[in-house]
Amino acid sequence: MPVPTDKLKPCEISVLLRGELPSIAAWMERWDARRFAFHVGIIIVGAGLYGAAMGWWRDPQQALYVAIKFPLIILLTTLGNALLNGMLAPLLGLNIPFRQSFSAILMSFAITSVILGAFSPLLAFMIWNSPPMSPQAVSGGTYDFIKLTNVAVIAFAGTTGNVRLFQLLARLGGNPAVARRVLFAWLAGNLFLGSQLSWILRPFIGSPALPVEFFRATALHGNFYENVLRSLLQIFQQFD
Amino acid sequence: MNDPNSLASPIPPVIPPAPGQLGDDPSERAPIPNAIVAIEAILRRPRRVMFQLRQPDAGRLIAAMIFVSVACALIYGVVVGTFSGGTQLWAAPVKIAGGLMISALICLPSLYIFTCLSGSQARLVEVVGLLAGLLMLMTILLIGFAPVAWIFSQSTESLAWMGALHLIFWFIATVFGLRFLKAGYSHSNARSHAGFHTWVIIFLLVALQMTTALRPILGTADTFLPTQKQFFGTHWAECLKASDSEAKPGPRN
Repeated sequence: MPVPTDKLKPCEISVLLRGELPSIAAWMERWDARRFAFHVGIIIVGAGLYGAAMGWWRDPQQALYVAIKFPLIILLTTLGNALLNGMLAPLLGLNIPFRQSFSAILMSFAITSVILGAFSPLLAFMIWNSPPMSPQAVSGGTYDFIKLTNVAVIAFAGTTGNVRLFQLLARLGGNPAVARRVLFAWLAGNLFLGSQLSWILRPFIGSPALPVEFFRATALHGNFYENVLRSLLQIFQQFD
Repeated sequence: MNDPNSLASPIPPVIPPAPGQLGDDPSERAPIPNAIVAIEAILRRPRRVMFQLRQPDAGRLIAAMIFVSVACALIYGVVVGTFSGGTQLWAAPVKIAGGLMISALICLPSLYIFTCLSGSQARLVEVVGLLAGLLMLMTILLIGFAPVAWIFSQSTESLAWMGALHLIFWFIATVFGLRFLKAGYSHSNARSHAGFHTWVIIFLLVALQMTTALRPILGTADTFLPTQKQFFGTHWAECLKASDSEAKPGPRN
């Protein structure tokens, strides 16, 4: 077993991906600003590359915007829920300091971002092979295929990040039941806020009928859940 | 007969005390000198707070917990007020902090009566302290929810939706607060929890009615307090109807 070391090396990415718990737990023992910056950097680069590939189908400018917005959502979700997540951990039985809960969540997002970054060339290749974005392409199967690919990749990256987070929490708390409880609470909070931030920062893939822009003019009108509810109501009204 | 193990180790191993009694763990006996330590203790080691509430100088701790509760309720109130802005920026914090304290004050006598009826040995000071702990835990959790509430209040126009969101946050925070109160109640040799559970229902009803008695907290009105008396169920049903009729003209995009 490798001896845990506190020195920051680029190969830490592989340690994170493998989920080498002795090393990761050793990093979390004390605050290291360089390691924190490293994980933030991974998120910016990994999620940024994936965002660029996602937005590229619409326009290179859209690619730039999504490359900024995608990491921004992850970092704002981590920051916005930091206090709440730090309070929920001890209340649900995992007595770790605020700094450790924050680092653990940031680390799980860093793992997710590394995976997203690794998949970004594949997505870019797929976009390059797709017909240009047009009303025909959007109404046909291409748009659905790109959308489903994005859902699959993001789901895989998110699940892997959370599996590693669960393993880390189980080690820190010494109890899988407590780790499951804390992870579920954190996930619920992060999904709730993350969905709304994604709604505010839309568009991501873009639409050929609408201009390329960082925010939609209606960014701060309504919320994600209201919209989902309205869509559901419209579906049910069709059956009446 | 001698135990053969005693020959191998003449000094008996030190057995840690059972975690049943408050103060068995030395760390629980550490004093809580200020509000910051009180926040830390209630989140990480609530038994330390419960133990300190039984000590003769519990008054200072109770005062600190009430101070934190009021401060946190005021801060959360400002976040609630950002939905409507204007006068609600000061009215909402005043109503939330005031409503919370009045609810606690109204429910305190019944909590003490139920505590005594259940055979508990808790003194009035301890009951006040446990209630202050409930308020503090509730309000610091609300502060945790504040960034999320603020983001939604900036992007949502529906009063009913924001009201429901604040109620969900309040409910989650209250569940954790009541969990602390129940743990404290269990350590006071209470024979039954029936009285406590009855009190929980009373407390929830009082707090919910307070949201209607002090309305508007989220929206706006011409007067600081309502001119018409209503039960919270009727008021919420009216709010939902009003929001439904506003939404009917057409979907927003």
